[in-house]
Amino acid sequence: MSTRICILDYGMGNLRSVEKALEHVGATATIANDPETIRAAEGMILPGVGAFPRAMEGIRSLGLDQLIEERRAAGVPILGICLGLQLLFDSSTELGGAEGLGLLPGEVTELDAPGLKIPHIGWSPVRWERQSRLTDGIDSETPFYLVHSFAPQAEPGELLGTAAYGSRFACAAERDNVFGVQFHPEKSSAAGLRLLSNFAGICASVPA
Amino acid sequence: MILYPAIDIRGGKAVRLLQGDYERETSYDADPVDAAKRWAEEGAEFLHVVDLDGAKAGEPQNLESVRRIAAAVDCPIQVGGGLRDPGSVGSVLDAGAERVVIGTAALRDPEFLAGMLEQYSYRVVVSVDARGGRVSLSGWTEATGRDVAETVADLSERGVERFLCTEIDVDGTMEGPAIGELSRIAAATEARVIASGGVGDLADLEALAEIDAPNIEGAIVGRALYERRFSVAEGIVALGG
Repeated sequence: MSTRICILDYGMGNLRSVEKALEHVGATATIANDPETIRAAEGMILPGVGAFPRAMEGIRSLGLDQLIEERRAAGVPILGICLGLQLLFDSSTELGGAEGLGLLPGEVTELDAPGLKIPHIGWSPVRWERQSRLTDGIDSETPFYLVHSFAPQAEPGELLGTAAYGSRFACAAERDNVFGVQFHPEKSSAAGLRLLSNFAGICASVPA
Repeated sequence: MILYPAIDIRGGKAVRLLQGDYERETSYDADPVDAAKRWAEEGAEFLHVVDLDGAKAGEPQNLESVRRIAAAVDCPIQVGGGLRDPGSVGSVLDAGAERVVIGTAALRDPEFLAGMLEQYSYRVVVSVDARGGRVSLSGWTEATGRDVAETVADLSERGVERFLCTEIDVDGTMEGPAIGELSRIAAATEARVIASGGVGDLADLEALAEIDAPNIEGAIVGRALYERRFSVAEGIVALGG
């Protein structure tokens, strides 16, 4: 039976493209925000497009913050994508600031790119800062697609990948079974699909 | 939604046609690679490349340009124009295309389409071009009586996962996309639909993003980008990122 992955729906982001990409790599993807479906899943994806404070409001109003913590504590892997990566961190300075989920240490701050256009949009080569199950089989400096104005100040212990825009910024992070990528694997062709396939493999490897 | 900047190649140059008419051409970049680099630099997620000479000849005529574009940008490209046999499709993929866009042959030659879908699955995009709701073929020179929504529904059943739908009468005009027709087509299929034709300003992109159909995946933009009505990045934001 294929791996069941729940795409957490809190009203922000293009969930359908993530769903299609997961199905493409052989996972069973469900878009949901109810406890029953989330507890039945072997993995969670936290997507997101938009502003950090509003996203956290949506997550809290649905009780997803507690469910995510409950499942994480049970060992269920989670992958944050784009804004979803940022939400995994302690806090963000966006729009006056807000607390995040606190699953990864550090603050999310505006890109340091003097003289360059914000948001940063386009394909950027991503450098792996260490080995990971998530990036297995994907060469360092493979281009991924990014649309963002902020990036996390990840600690060296959690830093998985960086890219350059003005200066180098963190665009992938991991701690135990908590993973996040600033880029869009669902938009990033074969390498992105490989990453999602690796994530599904990680989810399948966790004993129920 | 995805904004697909269009690079139509004719005689080695990047050009735009008005309503598909080869007699009404505007020439922009002398080298299409320059256009590709510009759109990629502005943030394009995907590029849409059309070999206009190929569409007319019935086989690719600008493979070298395709090869140079694919080598010049990190952005993936889809390529159409004159792909009517497996050899042509293979040559375009070998040149570096991520996806192939098949038009006329997909409608005329069901066996060819089935073979390509079997071999390349989601890398195949089928282009359905229409005038007043009826399908047109062969570089838009030949009208059929077939309803475009019915055609799309039929092709979906045969396994097509992504369509490119062009409304010929608005193409190249920058007077706004055929919103009603696109809604009707999108409702006829579960496959993804890329809208093409008529985008002139950011409000047109916002209108496309507002169509209540989750399977409208993106929009092709040509002349409006070349005329600098807006940048690729501004267009992506208007489409909702």
